[in-house]
Amino acid sequence: MYSAQIEKFLKAKKISIGDRVKVGQYEGILMPRIELGDTSSLVIKLDNGYNIGVKFDKSMKKVKTEWRVEKPQAKTGVTKIVFDKKLPTISIIGTGGTIASKVDYKTGGTSASFLAEDIAKQVPDLKEIANIRAWQIMEMASEDMVPDTWVEIAKAVAEEINQGSKGIIVTHGTDTLHYTAAALSFLLKDLPVPVAVVGSQRSSDRGSSDTVQNVSCAANFVANSDVAEVCTVLHGSVNDDFCFAIRGTKSRKMHTSRRDAFKAVNDAPIAKIWWQDKRIEILNSYKKRNDKKVLVDGKIETKVALVKFFVGMDPDVLDFYKKYKGIVIEGTGLGHVATRSKLSLIPKIGKMIKAGIPVVMTSQTIYGRTHPSVYRNLRTLSELGVIFVEDMLPETAYIKLMHILPKARNVEDVKKLMQTNMVGEITERTEVVSSE
Amino acid sequence: MFHLSEDYSKLGLKAGLELHVQLDTGKKLFCNCSTKMKEKQPIEIVERKLHPVASELGTVDQAAQFEFLKGRTFYYQAFKGESCLVDLDEEPIHPLNSEALTVALQVSLLFNCKIPSEIQVMRKTVIDGSNTSGFQRTAVVGLNGYLEFRGKNVPISQISLEEDACAIIGEEDGRVMYKLNRLGVPLVEVSTGLLVGYTPEEIQEIAYMIGITCRSTGKMKHGIGSIRQDMNVSITKGARVEIKGVQELGIMAKIVEGEVKRQMIEKAKEETRTVLPDGNTKYMRPLPGASRMYPETDIPPVPVNTKYLAEIKKSLPEPLTKKLQRFEKELKLSQQLAKEILRSDYVEVFEKVKGVEPSIVASTFTNVVKDLERSGVEISNITDENFMDLFNNLAERKIAKEAIPDILRMLAENNTKKISEVAKKLGFTTLTHAELDKIIRETVKPDMPFNKAIGIVMSKVRGKADAQTVIKAVKKFLATSA
Repeated sequence: MYSAQIEKFLKAKKISIGDRVKVGQYEGILMPRIELGDTSSLVIKLDNGYNIGVKFDKSMKKVKTEWRVEKPQAKTGVTKIVFDKKLPTISIIGTGGTIASKVDYKTGGTSASFLAEDIAKQVPDLKEIANIRAWQIMEMASEDMVPDTWVEIAKAVAEEINQGSKGIIVTHGTDTLHYTAAALSFLLKDLPVPVAVVGSQRSSDRGSSDTVQNVSCAANFVANSDVAEVCTVLHGSVNDDFCFAIRGTKSRKMHTSRRDAFKAVNDAPIAKIWWQDKRIEILNSYKKRNDKKVLVDGKIETKVALVKFFVGMDPDVLDFYKKYKGIVIEGTGLGHVATRSKLSLIPKIGKMIKAGIPVVMTSQTIYGRTHPSVYRNLRTLSELGVIFVEDMLPETAYIKLMHILPKARNVEDVKKLMQTNMVGEITERTEVVSSE
Repeated sequence: MFHLSEDYSKLGLKAGLELHVQLDTGKKLFCNCSTKMKEKQPIEIVERKLHPVASELGTVDQAAQFEFLKGRTFYYQAFKGESCLVDLDEEPIHPLNSEALTVALQVSLLFNCKIPSEIQVMRKTVIDGSNTSGFQRTAVVGLNGYLEFRGKNVPISQISLEEDACAIIGEEDGRVMYKLNRLGVPLVEVSTGLLVGYTPEEIQEIAYMIGITCRSTGKMKHGIGSIRQDMNVSITKGARVEIKGVQELGIMAKIVEGEVKRQMIEKAKEETRTVLPDGNTKYMRPLPGASRMYPETDIPPVPVNTKYLAEIKKSLPEPLTKKLQRFEKELKLSQQLAKEILRSDYVEVFEKVKGVEPSIVASTFTNVVKDLERSGVEISNITDENFMDLFNNLAERKIAKEAIPDILRMLAENNTKKISEVAKKLGFTTLTHAELDKIIRETVKPDMPFNKAIGIVMSKVRGKADAQTVIKAVKKFLATSA
């Protein structure tokens, strides 16, 4: 947006974005101001394609109209792309995020306008893998999602499975992609086919985008593998060579920007999917495809919080959660919080548990298993009734707690359900693997 | 063989130049990696593919892009300290390097350009793999300037600040290997307007002048590959052909002549050609259009306010014409030598040297260096610091000027050595007066003719004493012993 003075001038002179204009000695196309910066400078596109900032000046004149800004038309419903009738049909459900964002070459603006259909068209080897049903259900940056969004996505996935799709790809922003993957793992009951939650770390308009490999590998995985689980499917290394399919409850974004940001935490990836030669190597046990009808268990308790303990934390912070139905704490190490210092959280946690609010303990080390009794401080917490959830990721524990609260009759039920593996969120044993 | 008449204006020779000069900033344009490009051993090799970019070009171009890219895999060598996640397209770019922007704006002002009120970084699609991102980042920093050349104003249409691309190592069966350390090194690109009415030699001379003008900021890298040049060449009956990657300015005239000849014989198409080692060209790819540019959205535009511009104006280097005059008048260089040193890669070091006769320094940087290069010495192994050290030793009379070629040769082979150590190793430390007198006493007979005596002594002390001192000492010896 330009400054009010410029906007007013443009209106009066009937100059629009996309008009060829003359300002002082410069001539070019008037561009929208899409970035911050000096709103009193005009952005002009020169004939060689470069944009420059030009000081606004009232001698500005329109030369002619070059183009008009067109509002992108919102598409609704499912688009079918049939390459070959012999190929299986899979669905791509679009939700938004970097994978869906592209620059408008005319205006230079970036928007989540790269729909499921466009993504499908951008991946050339899809035609060798599957026929596509593309369905854009929302356009949302993943950090803007709320727990109800997961239910909405789960319903769309179930609908596509029940009308016959052999596998589902959900395209998603990467920031909270692992939340959605974990949520779908719990919400989709009796899942009969693979579901891949896919994102990209480099936007789809770039020649170097990781979208192409990620979507190609995901399509191969959901069309051809026997894994009937929710997985994240993204780059497995910084090379463009393979993707990892990681169990939705065990996957986490561990880097702000690398394409191999998603790691299998406390678990091996389920599969390694080679991009070029389309090989799928199975690396872990998994649930097999079946003929069941998928159901969505959409009942979730959203009054749940994930709280990180930190050195110097004021115990009064916990007072805020008194009205909550349950909290997950990210403790230190094996699952500690301040216990015997003057900032001990013990009294407040005790009060919450007494009031019937389940308190679940995970670790901020992310990797490794919590333990209820190695240290005295741990025993104190454990005796208080804090629920230690083994090697479950904090975000997964938070989502699982939301999921089970409507089903549990009392805190004992919560404890039992939280400590029982449902969809791979808890492993019984930790395999010896090299860390990276 | 086809013979070309020399009348280029009749043929309608038109040319446009684009010179790319690497900036010698400490850090890269969009990250904090070093720009030294010294590392030899890669610490990692990363494998990548590039994809055709939808909606940017027409479907035909896209199909061509796809065919081109399908068979290609790119490998990138990463070097410690010289490449990071930004270079690998694994981290968003950092803010534009302000040191590089300042130098680029200086260059713009030296070419009398208008400066935009805001600098917008653009992405220019490049699919040969030389940019890990699939595009090169570039920004206009100056427009509509000129260069004074033989009484005329040569139009300088645009100055851009850009990131350099990866250097290619090799290509085999669709596998292309690149080095990441050059990627992101700041470049200033100077584009001329259409040059009409100039001969190939004049076009080459204009390129030289542009290069020297950039160099005068004292912030340009030198050595092989630090200046690269693209040209557009056309004649009336031909077509506009872009020739990329001329690394040696000295063969430009020859390339222009060759292209004119080619266009007279073949039916030329608008296309991009690359330079072969013999100065001829081969087809590279179709000419890219303006449609391959779109804004870099990871960083906001950079405003250039009047205060910043005023500071840059104050810090502008001395104009070339003045510098040339000063070299002739104050430093007493011949016009030939003054021009040569001004054109050389060493003009900045030359100006830093104190206490040594300027003509000795200038001829070291021109004649001596050229001779050594011709005999196969790797002069690029000698750093500016080495040269300063050399001339300091000369100024303090620790070495004699006759020893310079041998010392440089040895330095180039052992570039970590100090001058004093090299001189010692070569036996080139200067003799004291007593030592010199002793040698004279031992070798010269009192009745010897002067010239013979000088010859004998010089052969004994070459490189250890300068000729003037020897002459004086021998004269004195003959006079006193006679």
